[in-house]
Amino acid sequence: MNHWTPELLSPAGSLEKLKVAVLYGADAVYLGGQKFGLRQASDNFTAEELREGVEFAHERGTLVYVVLNSFLHDKDLEELPEFLHLLSELSVDAVIVSDLGVITEIQKHSNLVIHLSTQASCLNVESAKLWKKMGVTRIVLGREVTIKEAKIIKEQTGLEIEMFVHGSMCMAFSGNCVISNYTQGRDSNRGGCAHSCRFEYSIDMQDEGEALKAYFMSSKDLEGIRMLTEFIEAGIDSLKVEGRNKSHYYAATVSKVYSEALAHYKTHGNFLSEDLIRWEEELKKISHRDYTSGSLDAHADETSIYNQRESDDNEFVVTGVVLEVKENEHVLLEVRSAFAPGDTLEIMPFSGKTIFSTAETIKTIANVNVVKSKPGSVVKVPFIPGAERFNIIRRRIAGANV
Amino acid sequence: MKFVTYAENSTQLKALAILVETGRIDISDLEVIIGNAFISRYSENTIAGMEEMIALNQKYKLPLTLEWDVLQQESLFQKNVELISRMPLHEFKAVRLQDPGALNFVKENYPWLKVQLILENGNHNHTGLSRWSEFLGDQLDRLVLSNELSREHLSKYAADLKMDLEVLVFGRILLFYSPRLLLSPLKKMEVQQEFQNKNIEAFGTSEESPHAGFPLIENRHGTYMFNVKDLYLLDHLEELKALNIKAVRFDLRFDDSYGHLEDCLDLFSGKVSHEEIGAIKSEHPRPMIKGFYNINKTDVLFTKLKNKRIQRQDADYIGEIVDVERDQQMALLIKSKHLKLSAGVELKLITPEGKTKTLGIKKFTNTSGVDIASAQTNEVVLLPFMSGVVAKTQVYLVEKDLQ
Repeated sequence: MNHWTPELLSPAGSLEKLKVAVLYGADAVYLGGQKFGLRQASDNFTAEELREGVEFAHERGTLVYVVLNSFLHDKDLEELPEFLHLLSELSVDAVIVSDLGVITEIQKHSNLVIHLSTQASCLNVESAKLWKKMGVTRIVLGREVTIKEAKIIKEQTGLEIEMFVHGSMCMAFSGNCVISNYTQGRDSNRGGCAHSCRFEYSIDMQDEGEALKAYFMSSKDLEGIRMLTEFIEAGIDSLKVEGRNKSHYYAATVSKVYSEALAHYKTHGNFLSEDLIRWEEELKKISHRDYTSGSLDAHADETSIYNQRESDDNEFVVTGVVLEVKENEHVLLEVRSAFAPGDTLEIMPFSGKTIFSTAETIKTIANVNVVKSKPGSVVKVPFIPGAERFNIIRRRIAGANV
Repeated sequence: MKFVTYAENSTQLKALAILVETGRIDISDLEVIIGNAFISRYSENTIAGMEEMIALNQKYKLPLTLEWDVLQQESLFQKNVELISRMPLHEFKAVRLQDPGALNFVKENYPWLKVQLILENGNHNHTGLSRWSEFLGDQLDRLVLSNELSREHLSKYAADLKMDLEVLVFGRILLFYSPRLLLSPLKKMEVQQEFQNKNIEAFGTSEESPHAGFPLIENRHGTYMFNVKDLYLLDHLEELKALNIKAVRFDLRFDDSYGHLEDCLDLFSGKVSHEEIGAIKSEHPRPMIKGFYNINKTDVLFTKLKNKRIQRQDADYIGEIVDVERDQQMALLIKSKHLKLSAGVELKLITPEGKTKTLGIKKFTNTSGVDIASAQTNEVVLLPFMSGVVAKTQVYLVEKDLQ
């Protein structure tokens, strides 16, 4: 039996990450051009990359949404029509927008489908009705909205509803933080966010006690794997994963885990607890802050605050990305972190179980043996059956808790 | 130009009424914003307190506007709608709204009630401002603009847009608005904001920021952080008037600033010069700034956030150098879907440092060391080493075929 499931929408911070997300199971990807998005430091897509990315995704039945979700100033808007013409020519499936001026320009210059960005903080039925009047067809709800509230919004507006299912979260209502504008001279709502909410602060409560030190504005990361049944039953159309600035490994893992989970539901109409535990274990293997269900179940409370220093301590490290597979000869790896002969590598196939393989030898491209691979280099390891181009390879760090 | 300010309670409303009665300001120039702790972001006023103010104003007839500026998830929105429906809305000249849901609700249910639309969050373009105005039509009383707009833009909008505009000229600059309660957990305080209206106030300082002493407020609606410096445009009042800005807002709700009300009124009315009220600035507990009034350059640093040279530029792009073995070979990953590499072509290489080099290709091999005549997308080929070329060098086809 085929049960209905929502779309899985993954981040594509670059052309390579788009390919990774698509191959690992995303139903749709979202990406940014060189301007108009909220990730100025991200690679983003040039026109040629965009062309190739859309072709790659569409050939595999994956939809492409392009973010235009900055709060644009007049001079930014002047440059928008040319980009809109390109997006129309490439037949992108929708644009994601937060500014009414941008919506108006899009409607003037194209027939592109418009999704309202979470940056617009649409939180209630009446707000969704207003944006529907403005011409949007889908609302990416604010992360402060519960699934129950989202269901009401969908039922009362008939709009497509998209919600975040995984990733980092703004502590502020999205679009309602301009700390970077005043402290760093960078417009957070045009892609210059300096993540001041992740800093440690001394808080003087003016009660004669000592100032308290805390990461009081930092949010835990969202994880919605255990809420998938609620999303499905509420009829939420699209589940979005945050993280255009994050790694290939992140894009691969979240796309694979959530797409596998949704595929399982599509076939069986339920989730088994052992599967949920396995998927949660996989999601723990990527770099993350402590997880929370945020406001998916009930409005986020103090347990959603990540009151600790950011840490890169992980049980797993990304070893590399497969660049080329020569059948029965070698696998060519773009090395992301050093590894040595004898290390056990875990190859993440696009679907199915992890492949374990020991790197008996490591060679340069010129076939010279190396005792330890260098990050940023390209090396050969012996052929690994089942490995494919764009597979992510990871390694458990020695001494990490198992 | 109107003098817009807040009254938090009956005492403050009475004080404003006395200033009108004594001729410090003409009543037609004044507008008073009132609210309550349920629908206004920072108000500590109760419903009963607000009702008392409305009753008191039967005598004074001051132009009152109702502040409904909180952002609301659906469940809270429903509660607030119920509250609004019980308010004597006819007593207000207009309602001030920020949540688009509140805007749509008022437009649909109270078409006679004028709206002052708060567009302080974003809304930095002419097209958007016009569209909001068009949406509200005659129901629009005024647009409240962002303090990130420079004088140049205010001037342009005031001249071009056929609507009244308001800007903040004195008061705190809001940097951050979260629905989560972030201060009370620090003190393990019982979260009783549902039952009491008192704001929790604090100051935050981070060693990772060059700025110290960000004012913080927590109440039932969440947590707010303000800039360490407050906005001060009192020396630009005449200029704003000349620009045709129809209302200037004095936010005197914090830091005992209400004590400056009379000075502000006298300055607004032209009874004293800016120099004569210097104490407002010198006595203020925090530094004061003009914000982005003179210029907003918050996008100029973006070009430095990434290296444009490592991005592909045009249709002649063929791929990227992914590995370099000094004095031996370079590995080129062919990324172009449409162009092939074949022997005899000339390549242009642009390094991450921006150096441009050219390389004629007579022959090349695959990664197994086998000579090949051509290669296409996703293949890795080995080219002769070239000094100065490093990984992430971008490669373009100059001549499609030199042979």
